Amino acid sequence: MRTKKEYLIRYKNGNLYCELADIWIDPSKPVKKALITHAHFDHFTFGCEEYISTKETAILLKERFGDNIKIKTFEYGEEFKINGINISFHPSGHILGSSQIRFIFAEEKWLISGDFKLQKDETCKQYEIVKTDYLISECTFGLPIFKWDESNKIANDISKWITSSPEKTSLLFCYSLGKAQRLLKEISQTNFKGNIYSHDSIYKMNNRYRELGIDIRDTIKIENKKKIDELKGSLILLPPSLSKGSYLKNFKNIQTAFASGWMSIRALRKRSGYDKGFAISDHADWDGILEVVKKSEAKNVFFHHGDSEALSKYLVEKESINVLLFSK
Amino acid sequence: MSLKKFSELFSDLDSINSTNNKIEVLKRFFLSNEPIDNSWAIYLLTGKSNKRFISGRYLKNLFSQIYEYPQWLIDTCYLKVGDSAEVITLLLKNKTTSRNKKLSNISLNELLGKTIPELSKLNEEEKNLQIKNIWERLPEDNHLIFNKILTGTFRVGVSIGLITKSISKLINIDEEIISHRLMGNLKPSIDSYEFLINKNINLEELNSKPFPFLLANNIEDKIFKHSINDFQFEWKYDGIRMQLIKRSGHVSLWTRGQELVNESFPELVEKMSFINDDFVLDGELLVWNFKEQIAFDFSLLQKRINRKSPTRSIQKRYPIIFIAYDLLEINGRDIREIKLENRRIELEKYFSKWQNKTENNISDIFKICDLIFPKDWPDALTYKEKSRENNTEGLIIKKKTTIYSSGRKKGIWWKYKVDPMQLDAVLIYAKGGSGRRAGLYTDYSFALWKDQELIKFASAYSGLTNVEIKELDKWIRKNTIEKFGPVRSLKPEMVFEISFEKIQFSKRHKSGIAVRFPRITKWRKDKKINDADSLENAYKLMKKIS
Repeated sequence: MRTKKEYLIRYKNGNLYCELADIWIDPSKPVKKALITHAHFDHFTFGCEEYISTKETAILLKERFGDNIKIKTFEYGEEFKINGINISFHPSGHILGSSQIRFIFAEEKWLISGDFKLQKDETCKQYEIVKTDYLISECTFGLPIFKWDESNKIANDISKWITSSPEKTSLLFCYSLGKAQRLLKEISQTNFKGNIYSHDSIYKMNNRYRELGIDIRDTIKIENKKKIDELKGSLILLPPSLSKGSYLKNFKNIQTAFASGWMSIRALRKRSGYDKGFAISDHADWDGILEVVKKSEAKNVFFHHGDSEALSKYLVEKESINVLLFSK
Repeated sequence: MSLKKFSELFSDLDSINSTNNKIEVLKRFFLSNEPIDNSWAIYLLTGKSNKRFISGRYLKNLFSQIYEYPQWLIDTCYLKVGDSAEVITLLLKNKTTSRNKKLSNISLNELLGKTIPELSKLNEEEKNLQIKNIWERLPEDNHLIFNKILTGTFRVGVSIGLITKSISKLINIDEEIISHRLMGNLKPSIDSYEFLINKNINLEELNSKPFPFLLANNIEDKIFKHSINDFQFEWKYDGIRMQLIKRSGHVSLWTRGQELVNESFPELVEKMSFINDDFVLDGELLVWNFKEQIAFDFSLLQKRINRKSPTRSIQKRYPIIFIAYDLLEINGRDIREIKLENRRIELEKYFSKWQNKTENNISDIFKICDLIFPKDWPDALTYKEKSRENNTEGLIIKKKTTIYSSGRKKGIWWKYKVDPMQLDAVLIYAKGGSGRRAGLYTDYSFALWKDQELIKFASAYSGLTNVEIKELDKWIRKNTIEKFGPVRSLKPEMVFEISFEKIQFSKRHKSGIAVRFPRITKWRKDKKINDADSLENAYKLMKKIS
């Protein structure tokens, strides 16, 4: 077995790093060259000399972090070379523009899954099965208690939740990039036909999605001083950061909910402080992770972003897959 | 009504925080369902169904066996979820592929009255097969309720008070009457539901049941502004609060948890039946040290409460007494609307009559509570501080001019508890919480110094804020020395102030002491582990009080 020094990609300072290409993947500290899998805050840091991502990710990053960041973009599937390593982005199905990244060097394939899901999502490209020798996968929901319902079922639950309390304003908290647009798409296909408002941070992302060709319905930008009567029976999409603090005082007679995979567990739902939880996630569930591990045909698997102990043990015992540990 | 509808009710109640909305949902539910199912629903919602048909462990083993699932994986999931019934529900998702969802319309009555009780009649193999069948035929949405009922863990954020209010609003009858009707062993049946919602108040039926209890609030500063003479003072005993009822010659003994416990205390029931009057007394049951005229520790009472039909020798070893605080009804006359000071006069009057005129001596099992007469508030404080000497928890202060209403109403009774004892101890173990605290390390063990060694002396779960729990959880994960299943041993670094009510010798514990109601009262971030208390200090505390 090779030592960690010899792995093409390894963990360094808590981030994924390819020494041969001197390139980092979603680094948390400024570096020279950074590959960015997608435009969520926790995968981006300011101050890198150069960023490389898909075209969609670049547009979303610029909307969030300003125009003056230098990003080189590539299409999905388009190969580019750094120090003799072939690198390419492939759809990961997490949000618009999100990608897995494949490295090929000396006929050895490495795949970084990025954040991914297999479930249907009309607001981004479907996850692409990519074959690899080494797989580095996220495992945010790496326990078999996590099994997602179809997203249209969740959307119908949300619709029912809103319409069964017509005298109330329904505040649905969700991540402003990705989750919000996916929910918007799904909810517009349900029986709920009332007004949908969105917070500025979500509203902006909706616009970028539309410009990138994603067909999602119009929402009204929520102003701080809306008449209470006007909001009755309507849905307002807000980022989770506004759920605590004084922002909610802008509304009267509300019911609140949080859309997140963690809401599938009753204790977490109760502790979250929201009235209701809808278990919908942009990450793969247990079965999703297992499917990707199997279909990628990887002989060696690493996990990060999550509690991987049980998942690793299960793969080793039940599927005889070699699960390796990162030394940090 | 199908189980499905009840599942929906459960999920609605689970996700509504407002009391008024919960009441509305319940009212709507009762209106749209059959009496028999409503009766079962009330039975479940009031927590009367906590009979355990199988254990959580059994449920997990069974799942592991049927679906060839590794036990350790189920255990890992449990740590995240904190409830066996829910873990299995989540794992069952997409497992029951059978299209034959025959049980999708099973009624609550059939499930609870027939299907589940019949499981107990089967042998293990048949029982396992039957549970598997039910899982496969029941729609997924209903698995949680079914598993929870099986394991006796069905609970939802609805109090008896809320059910009482809903029914009271439904039929427009006073809450007191409904609360009265809901007490005791209300077996689910059409009759019991119709009795519950009967608009005519039937006195005879109501007569066998206790009155709703009046409860004390925590002491409020504002009462110190009032004259000491406005109040009646009693010791706060640490026993079991009860109502002792004798009506038409029949004695019944009810706990505040609405349990009829005649069978556990037959000697009391027998003695009281010699009294010639009918009555309802509010009081406390204790195991009594007749020589010193003080209560024995609560742990001795525990030896009696769960034992039905105790033998003579048990009765002798743990002699009980009923101490009456209040007289609520005498010879059919409800006197709860009379002022406390006048009820007390009646109580004393009847007690002396009973003592003198009952052919059988009752004073070896029954007395009325002694009153305390502090001169002023500082004097009351002195009494309070002395309460440990007679094994009481402090004082109960009652306003003399108040009537006996129900519940924890403000401005009527107060408890003035003695300050807890405290020690600074070092956190050495943590265990994952369950239920609402699943996925977090919330059960802690604390140690005191003995020479150079830290010896575990207490476990505590409560006292930290949610923010502190999260912070400590993070610290625990980073400072684990070893994992033993769900328990982690920790680097000795964190010091906490632990408060408790009682301390006594115990052979069962390595530390040699046992404390009652230990809880965390302060995270002493300012202290290093060397500043923590020693076992020696704990022994000193014990000597001081005994």
